[in-house]
Amino acid sequence: MTLVAGLRAAAYGVPFQPVGGVHGSDLAALNRWQKVKDPYGSGQEVYVIPAISPDVAVIHANEVDEYGNARVLGSPFWDHPLTRAAKRVLVTAERLVPSDVLAAQPELTLVPGFMVEAAAVVPRGAWPGSMHPLYEIDYPAVEAYLKDEPGALEAHLEAAPELKMNPPPPQPSP
Amino acid sequence: MDWTPFSHIVVNLARQIRPGEIAFSGVNSTPAMLACLLAKRAYDFHFTYLNVAGGVEPVPRKIPHSSSDPALVAGSPAIFGNEDFYDLCARGGLDLVFLGCAQVDGEGRTNVSVIGDWKNPKVRLPGGGGAAVMMPTARRVVTWRTEHSPRTLVEKLDFVTAAGNLQTVVTPIAVFQKRAGRLALECWNPQVALDEVACRTGFRFDASSAKPAAPISARERAALDSLDPQGEFAAGLRA
Repeated sequence: MTLVAGLRAAAYGVPFQPVGGVHGSDLAALNRWQKVKDPYGSGQEVYVIPAISPDVAVIHANEVDEYGNARVLGSPFWDHPLTRAAKRVLVTAERLVPSDVLAAQPELTLVPGFMVEAAAVVPRGAWPGSMHPLYEIDYPAVEAYLKDEPGALEAHLEAAPELKMNPPPPQPSP
Repeated sequence: MDWTPFSHIVVNLARQIRPGEIAFSGVNSTPAMLACLLAKRAYDFHFTYLNVAGGVEPVPRKIPHSSSDPALVAGSPAIFGNEDFYDLCARGGLDLVFLGCAQVDGEGRTNVSVIGDWKNPKVRLPGGGGAAVMMPTARRVVTWRTEHSPRTLVEKLDFVTAAGNLQTVVTPIAVFQKRAGRLALECWNPQVALDEVACRTGFRFDASSAKPAAPISARERAALDSLDPQGEFAAGLRA
């Protein structure tokens, strides 16, 4: 939540964001987080988290149109503060749809296209994670990836379904 | 019916939920997720169950391995996501928060950050995931450990990730409640001797009012079996 506070500070255009809690945690000293006294006189002391502005945010969406308007279904997790805090926003999406699909229910659009620098259509791009409501977490793939042994990463990348669905173009012969 | 390490943790976590409360389970918190779902099935009172996937009173069609699986949104009439439940907690609206830990001390503070020195760690842990914000602001926090040992229930933490309103610690063999700022033994798993609880606990504690844990009820047993019909969760939690 301190991370979200930092993102919110950047999104709000202010240098820091007050956050509830943190009192008694060693994380405050470790991160040199400062406390401020309520200037309006309640007597409360509140930690303030410095702004965090990622250079690039990459989010995966259900649908994107040709202008970069992106729709996310299900729980948005940190997509909203992340896209508002970042200097640049890139979108990957399960599929490309005509703009009038998004315009029919604009409240489902998580990030408007004017904020999006580039988008790519990547079916099953959240794998081995889930993409509501299209597919669930691939637990066996996650467990295989977690193995601490040589070749685990290579095997994981090899299994990536988007590679199977969009095979790389054949290399030109020299 | 005898307790197992698994049933002792899940059922005693569920028993911490009170009528009318708003209760929350987070990431990497499968026992707490199961406890909330068990309470829904085994107890007659109403409480509101929120989870880190954004679920509000979910009715999952199947029980996921991960406590942050979007399956925990199924059946929810609303999505109450990360920003919402943290803000709710910060403004005092979460009655009961289940937060995991690697170590807990006798004052009920937790470490989820590092074993050893921060700059030269023996084990780098995943981090609090919001615990530093939630533990001081939730009305009541409950934690658990699947391993009850002097290295997990410690006199001194390697690092204080979170401090504040921790009230209860549940393990395969004991339930501690905070009284006057210290964890005291409330009950223990009668399949182990009381002495064993003391030997396996790194912090000093008051056991003067401790009792054997009340037996698992038929409804608690039935609810647990319905959540774990193949025994997969139980197999993953043999302490």
